[in-house]
Amino acid sequence: MTHSRFVTPALVLDNVAAAYDRDPVLEGVSGSVERGGSLALIGPNGAGKSTLIKAILGLVPIVGGRIEVLGTTPSQARGDVAYVPQAEALDHEFPVDVLQVVLMGRYRRIGWVWRPNRAHKAAALEALDEVGLAHRAHDRFGVLSGGQRQRVLLARAVAQEAGLLLLDEPFNGVDATTTDSLLAVLEGLRAKGVAVVMSTHDLSVAHLACDAACLLNHHQVAFGPIAEALSADRLKATYGSSALLLEGGTTLIAR
Amino acid sequence: MRNLVESLQSPLFRRALLEAVLIGSIAGTVGVHVVLRKLPFFVVAMSHATFPGVAIASALGVSLFVGGTIAGLAVVVAVLVLGASKVLDDASIIGVVLAGSFALGVLVVSAQPGSSKDLTAFLVGSILTVTPADIALTVIVGGTVLLVLSALHKELVLGAFDRVGAAALGYRPWVLDAVVLVAVTVTMVTAIPAVGALLAVALLTVPALTARLWTDRLGPTQAIAALVGGLSGVLGLSASAVWSVAAGGAIALATGVCFVVSLAVTSLTVSRRMPRTAPRDRVGGAAA
Amino acid sequence: MWDLLVEPFSTDYMRRALVELVLLGVLGGVVGVYVLLRRLAFITEVVQHAVFPGIAVAFVVGQSLLAGALASGALAVALLAVGSRRRQIDADALMALLIATFFAFGVVVVSRGTGFQSDLTALLFGRILSVDQRELIDTAVVAVVCLLVLAALHKELVLRAFDPIGAEAAGYPIAALDLVLNLVVMLTIVAAVRALGTVLVVAFVVTPAATARLLVRRIGPMMVVAVAFAGLCGWLGLVVSYQGSVHHGWRLASGATVVMCLTVGFVLVAAGRAVVHVVRSRPVAAPSREPRPAAARP
Repeated sequence: MTHSRFVTPALVLDNVAAAYDRDPVLEGVSGSVERGGSLALIGPNGAGKSTLIKAILGLVPIVGGRIEVLGTTPSQARGDVAYVPQAEALDHEFPVDVLQVVLMGRYRRIGWVWRPNRAHKAAALEALDEVGLAHRAHDRFGVLSGGQRQRVLLARAVAQEAGLLLLDEPFNGVDATTTDSLLAVLEGLRAKGVAVVMSTHDLSVAHLACDAACLLNHHQVAFGPIAEALSADRLKATYGSSALLLEGGTTLIAR
Repeated sequence: MRNLVESLQSPLFRRALLEAVLIGSIAGTVGVHVVLRKLPFFVVAMSHATFPGVAIASALGVSLFVGGTIAGLAVVVAVLVLGASKVLDDASIIGVVLAGSFALGVLVVSAQPGSSKDLTAFLVGSILTVTPADIALTVIVGGTVLLVLSALHKELVLGAFDRVGAAALGYRPWVLDAVVLVAVTVTMVTAIPAVGALLAVALLTVPALTARLWTDRLGPTQAIAALVGGLSGVLGLSASAVWSVAAGGAIALATGVCFVVSLAVTSLTVSRRMPRTAPRDRVGGAAA
Repeated sequence: MWDLLVEPFSTDYMRRALVELVLLGVLGGVVGVYVLLRRLAFITEVVQHAVFPGIAVAFVVGQSLLAGALASGALAVALLAVGSRRRQIDADALMALLIATFFAFGVVVVSRGTGFQSDLTALLFGRILSVDQRELIDTAVVAVVCLLVLAALHKELVLRAFDPIGAEAAGYPIAALDLVLNLVVMLTIVAAVRALGTVLVVAFVVTPAATARLLVRRIGPMMVVAVAFAGLCGWLGLVVSYQGSVHHGWRLASGATVVMCLTVGFVLVAAGRAVVHVVRSRPVAAPSREPRPAAARP
């Protein structure tokens, strides 16, 4: 990566409004994420977290404001942005093996028509090793457990060597091993200057994985350092009566 | 059996056999993409939609391949546009268009003299009358299709496996869709003189499904699908010579026999070794 | 003008054809609404092909079409049940397989008989103009039975279509309800197959209901509109094919003309609705800064 790309923030959101058809789903989102920084998108179901992620990918049109990704527009930055979908969203019976899935992250580097060479396969295996699944490389993707599939998809993002990583609910319904492994890999990526944006329901994991948070409920409630953004009254404003304030100042979200 | 031996001495029959094997193995390979992308319903729709194109081309005296391809491509564009706007994604709408375009084809054909002979030729093919030109067309078109599909293999598989992921990587999913849809359409139109529009559906879906019963690996799936397609061509044509039944129907039925036999054999062997993963809801989703 | 529309029905065979189409219109229009609610259009296509070999066998040996249709329909259902238990096989793909191979089976059966081409044409596209008194009575009986069954189970079928889990939780036998509806669809197809043929019959079930749905939202009125639309198109289709064939030498196949009328009617209604929609919603259009990518929808 060139020096100038390190100077610009990984992600700039400037009063963003996004919409399907004509009704805005999301309005007034502003903030930025530095290289190596990490942001948690927090809010109830249907608050617009996934919409914001798709807007950053340039897959949902924005009807107001501006999004800048790695110093350029979302659609131009696409190859440099890695997206980790929820493992559950993919077809379990699809006949691909784990290594093939990880290699998909490198397809843009390999280019149209060319086949993956030994170097690409080595890089994919290395990424797989980081999530602790190198020994499953030749198993079919669908036979892995939900948590293992999630780790494979993260390995795919690692293999892509992107500047910005977008994760859609990565900790949803995964086991403790997977949570630890995901947290460790994300930490390693951030040390290399990769910025991380994830949507999540889990406030404790958000605290562990991210240093900033954006609270959303169709509009932006807060954006800032995670301890400040996730204050009790702001959570109350976002979640309404499902936010329970416990004695000692901890807030729980009833789901 | 004597019928078969006699038939084999006829150059017409040997030519038909060559065409059946070519079409079967090409359509079988293309069919793997149909199954991966869950496009079988599209193929059924396409088989009905190319029919008026072929009928009109025959009435005007121009190439059936051109007429069928134009009608088929019109449907591909309609599918891409409707798929993007999501206004009319109902299976009922496809049903309406299917029956309507079929009726249009019937009207065009029935307006000509000697119509019922032409009609059956379009619908169920007449492989015993294929010309060397038909075979040359099959080789050229089939070869091109297979070349394109194998060149873009990894991108097409990515697009089928994870559409959003492919878009996030900077591919345009509709370009990948269009490559597969056009390949399927062209293959189908090429198969029409041999097996007819309705029976080409069998060659484009059944061998690939049969192969999926035997393996979870993509490469072997394609090899087995091509094999089953070619084998069905040989079996069907032989059966038609032995029992004097319609060749196109016999070829398509042979793919079905391969499927049922594979289903039985693999149920006894393969599935016992491989436990099912997470059960999926199959109720009600079929027509959505 | 009036003469133009009524004159074709001065002969007995044209009158019988009209009565048959009106009966089928009533049956197909009502059944179609349930098919639409349950999103069974693809299944209808499958049933239509699944019964084809049975009908072909019955046709060749001169036995009852209904018995043949039931036998081959049962075979298809069994194959569907066995095949869909395998994890690699997608239910949609299996149905496409049934459509193609059962159709092929039927073609092979018909090709064993003499007069292959004309028999196949008759089976595929129907012979509406040669419907006789006995067939009219058959159709009427099937229509009455099907409509009575649907009327008796109306609220349960609607509940099952709207909320299958809720219906199951309330203790309804979902599988039995589905079987009843599938049997009704099959009977409708068998009743219509002689008049309209195997390939076109789906139009009489799906198109009227789809058209009605574009015009009205409530189930009752939807059935009324579907039935009226099917009847109207049956009449118009017969008139056009008669006038075309007798006075203009166009040789228009009757069944296909009727289906074309249904399709054109549907297209006109859909286009009219799209125009109304655009005119009404124009002032609301929001400005967008970035051109919308075509494949951006989730």
